[in-house]
Amino acid sequence: MRRTTKIQLALLDNLVWVMVAVFFIINAAFTPQFMSSRNLLNILFQSATLGLMVLGQGIVMMVGELDLSMEATLGFAPGIAILLGNAFGLPAVICVILTLVIGAAVGWFNGICLVKLQTNSFLLTMSTQIVMRGLVLFLVPFSLAKLDSFYTWLGRGRIGPLQVAVLALIVIYAAFEFFFRKTTAGRRFLLTGGNRRASFISGINTEKVVIMAFVLAGFLSAIAGLITAGRQNAVSNNMGSGLVMMAFAGAILGGCSFNGGMGKPVGMLGGTLLLGMLDNALTLNGVDVNLVSATKGALIFLAILLDHLRHRLTAWIMHRENVRRLMRSSGRGASSSGQTEDKAGSGQKQST
Amino acid sequence: MSHTENSAAPAALSLKNITKLYAGTVALRDVSLTVRRGEVHGLIGKNGAGKSTLVGVMSGLVTPSSGEILLDGEQYHTLTPIEAKRHHISIITQEPQVIEESTVAENLFFPRYLEGKEVIDWKELSRQADSILRDAGMVLDPQMKVRDLSVSERQLLLVIKACFVEKGELIIMDEVSASLSNRDQHILYEIIRKLTRDGKTVIFISHHTKELLEVCDVVTVIRDGRAVRSVRRDELDLKILAGLIVGDESYEARKGEDLSSLVTEEEIFSLQGFTSYGKFRSISLTLHKGEIVGLAGLRGSGRTELFRSIIGADPHDSGVMTLCGREVSYSSPSKAARDGVVYLTEEREAEGLVPIASVRQNLTMSILKKITRRGLLHSQTEKETAARSIEKLDIKVASQQQEVQQLSGGNKQKVLVGRVMEQKPRVCLLDEPTRGVDIEAKDSILHSINHGFRDNACALITSPGVDDLMKICDRILILYQGRITEEFTRKEFSEEDIYRAMQGELLHSESVRGGEAES
Repeated sequence: MRRTTKIQLALLDNLVWVMVAVFFIINAAFTPQFMSSRNLLNILFQSATLGLMVLGQGIVMMVGELDLSMEATLGFAPGIAILLGNAFGLPAVICVILTLVIGAAVGWFNGICLVKLQTNSFLLTMSTQIVMRGLVLFLVPFSLAKLDSFYTWLGRGRIGPLQVAVLALIVIYAAFEFFFRKTTAGRRFLLTGGNRRASFISGINTEKVVIMAFVLAGFLSAIAGLITAGRQNAVSNNMGSGLVMMAFAGAILGGCSFNGGMGKPVGMLGGTLLLGMLDNALTLNGVDVNLVSATKGALIFLAILLDHLRHRLTAWIMHRENVRRLMRSSGRGASSSGQTEDKAGSGQKQST
Repeated sequence: MSHTENSAAPAALSLKNITKLYAGTVALRDVSLTVRRGEVHGLIGKNGAGKSTLVGVMSGLVTPSSGEILLDGEQYHTLTPIEAKRHHISIITQEPQVIEESTVAENLFFPRYLEGKEVIDWKELSRQADSILRDAGMVLDPQMKVRDLSVSERQLLLVIKACFVEKGELIIMDEVSASLSNRDQHILYEIIRKLTRDGKTVIFISHHTKELLEVCDVVTVIRDGRAVRSVRRDELDLKILAGLIVGDESYEARKGEDLSSLVTEEEIFSLQGFTSYGKFRSISLTLHKGEIVGLAGLRGSGRTELFRSIIGADPHDSGVMTLCGREVSYSSPSKAARDGVVYLTEEREAEGLVPIASVRQNLTMSILKKITRRGLLHSQTEKETAARSIEKLDIKVASQQQEVQQLSGGNKQKVLVGRVMEQKPRVCLLDEPTRGVDIEAKDSILHSINHGFRDNACALITSPGVDDLMKICDRILILYQGRITEEFTRKEFSEEDIYRAMQGELLHSESVRGGEAES
């Protein structure tokens, strides 16, 4: 393969980062105060919650499912944990652990129901979403304030100039990038999403993988809940409302597909930053909040178009590469090539 | 069956020197064939012989590369489905295409009952459906939803539709009887009788030689893309037909390498009375170390079901499974794989490959543990493993990173075989490893299986063609309607005999091993 082809393919594979770069440069030139280090850190800080949701959703989409309940888990896990903490006078450390455990448990429940009932993840997680949101609205008064500083550390704390939340976002994304690149468990996620029946037949415990994906989504939602609660120094009962759609947006921008088997954390981070930057830049330019939301919607539409374009371009580049190889090999007199082989295969299929 | 014994009856359809080239393969070469009006014309041949392509040419779905089609005296180079319809050619395929949520009556009259009407007279529709079904000899409530029908009833419904609703003059039945129950087969034969009495023409494709002899007036045998011979029924018997299908010439030479000297006495795997009701019954077999055993059976004889139950993808009802003297039972393929019992699926696309993953990832997906160092994937080991498989099986890829969906059928199949081989299984269940691959790929796959699965392992293999099994197997078991009915040792291999046994003929039933045949 030629080097230019390789570079082209690599750029197409990371199209979202190309978009991030372009958008960044445009804003650096035209948006006032965009380039100040405070603002840049602010973008990251504002993106932390969404980033974790995108990652969670991306992981679930990778195995070919979707999770609507994540946004409710974001409110449910800290809400229930703080209520229990207040009722029994639990220390803050226990409350943090409880939050994470509840998040993971919700995910586990989703996952186990999904694989055992063999139902549709849209319906299932929609039901848990509504149930959890209703419970939070019922149990938690408008908000629970006066949280322990340990509980809010993840959302409010700072290490030097850096917010803990930003650090957490980067560490978690790095960990998951490593997970999917380097570990067998991560590989199993991708294969399960690529073709669940095939993975099952070739000896992968696909049920476990799907359950794990939901557990991770719940767990990440709970962390996102901790960050949100910390940022507003309270647990409010509408925390996370409407966030799940943005989580889908980020995941899709980041290269995930509803068919499963696609996506990587680096891309999802790019998707998150793109959404965060858009939010920030439009606000700085004084655009109305509702219009910002509409623009984000348009961005998702753009992502769909770009995804389509990317597939066509990739196919075209591969085709050109094939033609080149064919020319070279036919020059040496070898007539067997990828393309004719392929047609022979389909011809064979028809004739059996 | 028909009474038009006069061979001078006018031709309903003739094909003259039809050749069909697919890039790389010749599906049909110079096929000439005449189907006379009012006759039942049988077509038979091995898988891949070109029957389906021929049917495609007749019905306008496949454009021949050269040759002529004569229909009612009109000459065509290629047909379109519309022209075929204009000449009242109806085709019924192997897989019944129905609208599940509609009623029997709607399916029967679809799509014409919707045309030119604002209001549908349901009563009238039902009444007409009822009378047509009754005339055809099928007992069925026209108000029933088709989703509640069995596959057999659906298939028969489509036959009736083609014959009595579309009023085809030339009706092509492509392996229709394969999915019919015994009773429905008799209804089908009765329908065919009725059709020929009315002067209609039927082209009947089947793998069942016995049935063909019962139903047809003339049988044309297709072999390797050529119409070998059209023979009248009175000149045929089962043996002659089987000989024609297989092609006697030079098939000794294709027997392949005999590696039965590697077979030892040591038992690795055995089944005792393995049963899953409705799928297979009382299967008992023993595999020895170094042995490759063929499992020959027609589609629907229970091969795939047996394999799936062994590895735990489907449950089984009773029976004992033994691995190296230890009784085992698996609830999922991952548990079976842990013991080295692995399965190569016949459904390459649906449950074999992960299409968007790379060739490398597909090759190593069953051995992730083996390419792991200290808990992490070791990319060097993975690359080397994949490279080894690619070289051993001669898989043609641009790079290991190439998505597996871009490969050709034969190469995809090799990836599957490579994956299974790298698992170093103790018991390997290979379901049609040579399905839909060209001759070259087939040879390389068979060679790899023959040499790769004998070391401290054993294999059970099925194949679309008996000749593949004969090349590499040490024994061949015949599976017929979910039971093992015959066993052939390598000395006794004869393609004709095996082919007949697969149709349910008992050739040397006295030599059937084990007591399960009587039960």
